[in-house]
Amino acid sequence: MEKERESDTGGFNNRLFKIKLLTGMILGKGLILLTRLLGRGGTTLPGRAVLKLDPAIPSALAGKLQDGSILITGTNGKTTTAALISGVMKESGLRCIRNQSGSNMSWGVTSALVEASSLTGKPAGECAIMEVDEGAFPGVVQSIKPKGIVVTNVFRDQLDRYGEVDWIRDAIKRGLEYQPEEGFQVLNGDDPSLTGLVAGKNRWTYGLELELPEDRFQNTGRDIKTCPNCNARLDYSRIYYAHLGHFHCPSCNFKRETPDVKLTRKKTAAGGGEVLEIELPDEKITMKSSLAGTYNLYNILAAVTCAVAMSIPSDVIIRSIEEAVPSFGRMEQFNWSGKSITMALIKNPVGANEVLRTILNQSDKISLMVAINDKIADGRDVSWLWDVDFEYFVAKKEGISIILVSGLRAWDMAVRFKYAGISPDSIVVEENTEKALNKILKLTSEGENIIILPTYTAMLEIRKHLNRMGLGKPYWES
Amino acid sequence: MVSINIYHLYPNHLNLYGDRGNMLALCRRAEWHGFKTNIITVEPGDLIDFKECDLLFMGGGQDSDQKLIAGDLKIRRSDLVAAIDNGMVLFAVCGSYQLLGHYYTAHTGEKFGGLDIIDLYTESGSRRLIGNAVISCPLWKPEKTLVGFENHGGKTYLGPSVKPLGKVLIGFGNNGTDKTEGAVFNNLIGTYLHGSLLPKNPWLTDYLLEKALSYRSQPHQLRELDDSFEQSAHLAAIELAGSKKHERLSTRA
Repeated sequence: MEKERESDTGGFNNRLFKIKLLTGMILGKGLILLTRLLGRGGTTLPGRAVLKLDPAIPSALAGKLQDGSILITGTNGKTTTAALISGVMKESGLRCIRNQSGSNMSWGVTSALVEASSLTGKPAGECAIMEVDEGAFPGVVQSIKPKGIVVTNVFRDQLDRYGEVDWIRDAIKRGLEYQPEEGFQVLNGDDPSLTGLVAGKNRWTYGLELELPEDRFQNTGRDIKTCPNCNARLDYSRIYYAHLGHFHCPSCNFKRETPDVKLTRKKTAAGGGEVLEIELPDEKITMKSSLAGTYNLYNILAAVTCAVAMSIPSDVIIRSIEEAVPSFGRMEQFNWSGKSITMALIKNPVGANEVLRTILNQSDKISLMVAINDKIADGRDVSWLWDVDFEYFVAKKEGISIILVSGLRAWDMAVRFKYAGISPDSIVVEENTEKALNKILKLTSEGENIIILPTYTAMLEIRKHLNRMGLGKPYWES
Repeated sequence: MVSINIYHLYPNHLNLYGDRGNMLALCRRAEWHGFKTNIITVEPGDLIDFKECDLLFMGGGQDSDQKLIAGDLKIRRSDLVAAIDNGMVLFAVCGSYQLLGHYYTAHTGEKFGGLDIIDLYTESGSRRLIGNAVISCPLWKPEKTLVGFENHGGKTYLGPSVKPLGKVLIGFGNNGTDKTEGAVFNNLIGTYLHGSLLPKNPWLTDYLLEKALSYRSQPHQLRELDDSFEQSAHLAAIELAGSKKHERLSTRA
């Protein structure tokens, strides 16, 4: 980018840009500092201000990364996949820049780059691993020119912002087309909406080749039901979750191809967690994982495939995946006076169903707190709550001692539980998240498991309260 | 026990935005009122008889799904029209509401013929109309409010033979200009409101159930239920819809 500028527009514009860059860095860093002092994450405002000053700044900063950047997009699994990939990079000796709070619009990416670079724009790292919102994706690809792109899946999410799943798929397609030709792309081979996309030459896919028990949460969230080529109804020989699985179209030739990287075996490990057998193009590897749930199998595969695409040796990959712990807000664990607290972000039907399924398979007696906000970052529309299979969950889960609902849309959630078959007498409503957290801590006894299911901004609030209680660090320090 | 036959049209194709919540509300409340419900899900090509149906529910769908089901519905059109003339209850949300009119245009500009059952048409707008909505509905005296969330690219215009479901207090409604939302024609109700509509507006659920009961058998007076949760959710939605922080979104189509 810098070089282009020099040759295209001459020295004056180049000097002008350098001044703008310096101004942008001072402004951006100042705003990050200021927002942090005010107890916020500093991920939105600084980036917005810098982009306003000159939208070429993130591109100039990313251009200085020695090993380039990798963008992760898709509906579910971005944060965990990004964390896993940066784990692999760290293990191979690279310092990564990340937008780890999940602020994944273009300004979040910009804030992260500004924060991690010197005033002259020199990055404090060799590579950037960024998760990017599907809608922001085409623009970020154009400006960052990533070396690698990982696409996890396409589900229904944030339709209040984007209207339709078809539109999201189209945004991802455009993003892939903007990537420089020498880059590599990693796509979920079990997602029919992605495999149909025409992608670059250096294209890798991953998928599951396991026998898993029947998916009881299937009645919801099947967002892609028809063949992306001919619109006929897709047939499946195996479904892992929602529309992810082994698909084929009965009327045209479209079908799941054998992926480059596949998970072929999974068994429970002796000391907890799972042992995974993964087939790479030319070797078979075995690793332990402490990340629960089918969705994490996909996240791990995405990260492994990305590492394989970068020719990272398999021992490095194994070591880093085995060390991985759940990311920010994704099944995070806290302990407080003998009570275990698990916090898992929920934001769309498919992701929420996966979290519920994981809870069903795990702990015994639980107290449940669900905190629903409807701010922009959560999605303004709370209709998705009705597509989450709370019916099945409350029918199957024995020993839920408390159900507490909170957040701006606490009453919506209260009604949701009522229609899922819970008696209104046993639903506690406390809109204020801090009061709700205190209440559930007070009402549960020692040794009990508290499960907190918040939407994104509710998660930030609850994190803040937990931090004040001395549990965990603010996310911008972790 | 009196039972109500509820037909759910194309749940695999028309299931956007929590439409499942509308079905749940109909079934749960019917049970709480002491009635049995028979749910019949209908997929394209299924053999069904609308004469057996008391209440038909159709949800919202994406353009690609809508295209697929429109063909199937057109084959059934004359049966459907006969049932509606007869007083069958039909509740249609978003995509299927558009489909009941003369025509609708997709965001690609493509024009599709509708079922021509009610006097309305839908043109695609340049921006999507998205946000919390509150309407005042004259199905009751005094009028009651209905709250929901709208998210549509199409702008719907009503002809003279249909009445709007309500007047927009907050939000866009049918087209963002004439302050109308939804349509009522015989026992057919079409609307852009989801969110889901029925759970947070229990009086509308009961209205549909009452109509379905009197269509099939004797008029029934439904019993009083404790709706304090639904009331609170309804009021909270009105407050949020009206607050400055919840400015309406109107994004590109």
